[in-house]
Amino acid sequence: MHFMKLIGRTALGLATAAILSSAAAKADPLPYPNKVVTLVTHSSPGGGSDVFLREMTKYLGKYIGATFIVENVQGGSGAKAMARVATAPADGSVFYATTPTYIYTSLMSKPQNTYKDMDPLVNIFADSEVIYTRTDGPFKSLKDVIDHAKKERGRWGAANPASLERQAAEQLKKAAGVTPAIVTHEGGGDMMLNVLNGTLDIGIGEIQELRSQLDAGKITLLATFNPERITEKPDVPTVKESGFDVSLVKFRGLAGPKGIPESTTAIWDEAVKKLLEDPDYKKAYTAEVLVPQFIGHKDYPAFIDNFGSTTGAFLKSTGAIK
Amino acid sequence: MYKDLISGVVLLAVSGTYYAWSSQIADSTLSDEVGATGLPRVLSVILAILAVLLIGRAMLLRRARTATAAADADEGDAGLPRAIGFLLLGAVYVFVLPFIGYVAGTALLIGAVALYEGAPRHWVVVAAAVGGAVFYWAIFVKLLGVHQPVGTLFQGMF
Amino acid sequence: MTTLWDIIHLLTETPLFFVAIGGLTWGILGGALPGISASITMALVLPFTYTMDPAQAIALLACVYIGAEYGGSIPAILIRTPGTNSSAATVIDGYEMNRQGRAGEALGISLMSGVVGSLFGLAMLILLTEPLSWLALAFTPPSYFGLGILGLSVIASMSGGSLIKGLAAATVGLMIATVGTDPISGVTRFTFDIPDLLGGIEPVLVMVGLFALTELMSQSGSSTVLQLNETIRIKLPSWSMMNKLKRSQTIGCILGLFEGLTPGGGGSIAAFMSYNEAKRWSKTPQSFGKGSEEGVAAPEAANNTVASTALIPLLSFGIPSSNSTAVLLGGLLMHGLIPGPRLFEQSAQVIDSIYVGSFIAIIAQIGVGMIILPACIWLVNRPRAYRAGFIFALILSGIFTLNNSLFDLGIALALGLVGYLMRIAGFPVLPMILGVVLGHMVESSYRRSLVLSGGEHMIFLQDPIAVCLLSIALIFVVFSLSREFRDARKTKIEEAHS
Repeated sequence: MHFMKLIGRTALGLATAAILSSAAAKADPLPYPNKVVTLVTHSSPGGGSDVFLREMTKYLGKYIGATFIVENVQGGSGAKAMARVATAPADGSVFYATTPTYIYTSLMSKPQNTYKDMDPLVNIFADSEVIYTRTDGPFKSLKDVIDHAKKERGRWGAANPASLERQAAEQLKKAAGVTPAIVTHEGGGDMMLNVLNGTLDIGIGEIQELRSQLDAGKITLLATFNPERITEKPDVPTVKESGFDVSLVKFRGLAGPKGIPESTTAIWDEAVKKLLEDPDYKKAYTAEVLVPQFIGHKDYPAFIDNFGSTTGAFLKSTGAIK
Repeated sequence: MYKDLISGVVLLAVSGTYYAWSSQIADSTLSDEVGATGLPRVLSVILAILAVLLIGRAMLLRRARTATAAADADEGDAGLPRAIGFLLLGAVYVFVLPFIGYVAGTALLIGAVALYEGAPRHWVVVAAAVGGAVFYWAIFVKLLGVHQPVGTLFQGMF
Repeated sequence: MTTLWDIIHLLTETPLFFVAIGGLTWGILGGALPGISASITMALVLPFTYTMDPAQAIALLACVYIGAEYGGSIPAILIRTPGTNSSAATVIDGYEMNRQGRAGEALGISLMSGVVGSLFGLAMLILLTEPLSWLALAFTPPSYFGLGILGLSVIASMSGGSLIKGLAAATVGLMIATVGTDPISGVTRFTFDIPDLLGGIEPVLVMVGLFALTELMSQSGSSTVLQLNETIRIKLPSWSMMNKLKRSQTIGCILGLFEGLTPGGGGSIAAFMSYNEAKRWSKTPQSFGKGSEEGVAAPEAANNTVASTALIPLLSFGIPSSNSTAVLLGGLLMHGLIPGPRLFEQSAQVIDSIYVGSFIAIIAQIGVGMIILPACIWLVNRPRAYRAGFIFALILSGIFTLNNSLFDLGIALALGLVGYLMRIAGFPVLPMILGVVLGHMVESSYRRSLVLSGGEHMIFLQDPIAVCLLSIALIFVVFSLSREFRDARKTKIEEAHS
């Protein structure tokens, strides 16, 4: 039954998308000073930021009159990609896909070029950081998990060491006044296995990595760290609503070398706003549970700086950095 | 058995240096009880014990049979300078690559190694070097799309 | 559900046929280039698959994976350079056979063992995905620790006569594995503020340095010339040879099956362990390391099995067990396909084309191998002076591909020197490579387990899989130590008599 409904919905979606896209295709792309724009990511082909960029470039050409190329500069958890972009010409031809990773790498590994050597351009999305558990497990809400952690030693998982997920776990721990073991992993897939087989009570990770088991009903979301509920999953409360004052934004945007002309940043501000309204793209990113969060060039640097100083303070308080 | 003696001393030095470096690792409360320094410490102790065992055994055996020791001064080490020379060609390649770029650098490497390995000084060496460099360039740069260094010398020519 | 008719239709459908063979050939090429791992080979074609039909795109990636896992053995045998991490164990006897002028035979054995392994892996993927996926789920951090220790236990029998030297080499290997970002706390270790070191030292750099560069250096230093093969013909194993290899191939298949299921290893552990086990169960264990056919068959069957069974956790949970399957996951996501139980219902066509495409690729592997292998043998039989230059340039170009970093080339050269000195001093290199490959898994799973248990080591005895793997490791160590001492005593007695 559910299956049929899904097919029906998809077909309907496709039909509307087709009609709207023909209209959108007529819109003229904004003239751009560069013919080719390179979007650099530290993620490997097929990795999170890589998929994000490649998906986006499919639609971006409609709004900016340039050809977009995705370049994977792997290595050093982003340190090399940052060096590549920070030293590139500031004419709007090279940008870097920002995620909290670049802030963490800047602070933890102190590479030559850090996030401070780049000019944040525009934010596009917020990923959904969620708390999840196995469906047939004993926990039905975040409160159950916290209660359990109060009675005996809980076991929580965070997707990556010294990352936003880890920070989320530590802040939740503090807010709830419990001391569970926090097990860090290397990537969300590994952690999901340990949640499924009952080794961990809960996992903290990105919703994108859970989609297969969410669809299969083996995994249940208990809460999201986003400041607001996720539109696609209206039943999932925020952590704040569950009574713990913790909220985080896992941003996804672009940054470029310092000194990009204002005329260029204005083009991006306008284009990204339109891009997020593009019906085809909207359908694609909603399916990936990405939450559009436009922050223009005027406010983005302040947002990144604030994120950087909060993270820096957190890492200092733990002794991870001096 | 003098080789074992030297190896033992070298390993002891490696273990000591590694231990000293491990003390520079930051101490984080995000870490576990074992900590980031846990395994490195254990490893340097293990290596030190093995090195001491190796030295001890070498000394014992040396006393026991000095006669047979001459037998193990065999092949390998006579060619050490030659082998290091070979490696140095590679080091020079790595060093000049950013300046002269992939094609020229690879041609020079193939040519230099061929001459070093005793190819007759003949136009064949030049042909093989240039042909080989172009062949590899076609595979790595054109077919696989790897960004091998272009070289500052030729920047702007491509 | 799949019907026989669907399968026949897919088999005869021309695009899929070309996709499979194209992917396979590309994979063999990429896998055969040193430094270009299976995952890079797949990543390089990924952008081309965006515009393809999803079913064909995924089949293409699966076929590239099969080709790359096989292709890695070609340079391992011909120039002592494993093309991929998992073909490191093939170097031992494969290169030895080549030195004896039996390159054609070694390549034939690796080709056919690869086909056997791939077919077995594919059969498991098609028939047993569901039960096997539950096995993958049963692996907890203590189990991974057990697996890592089991892998390390092989060191004792790979030390080539000197246990102290073998252990020392393994310890240094483990030390190399600690460079980079700490897996639990995320702090940096031994990176000296060099960004290239943040991600650690890639195992393939160590392999290329210790195997290939060391060999080139000692060929340069010594007067003995590698025996040239008079024939460039590739020699497929005869039936009686296949019969002889049956046991080692079976070992390879079974170990490959398990490694494919478990995240982390990517085929190297299975290859090393099956080499070790094939030696233990062989009728002629003394020929291992001296050009044994079984020593080529076992690891090759193992790493080719992994290329299929690694798809089991990927397709059923969306969990990539290696870098290569991570790229495949990226490919699935690009086409809006979400791996998991429902993929089998909703996108049966994609699953079918993976199965059928893989099958075509495996069978075609024999034909493609017969065409390209003679050319490869011919190439490495050029006069020594030129060959050395070409191999050196090939290796350095390949390593650069890993991270586009000249720093990596420097590391590989330095390790070449280390390997050469180790050879002079009589240290075995295999334990060091094992240390590098396994260090990360052993350390992170050990520490993760202790975090879970609050510091109690009992956790390793409460996990049935961990107990099982650790006891096998213990048996291995005791067994190989007793053999070691027996052999040592025997040689001592012989020396006394002579």
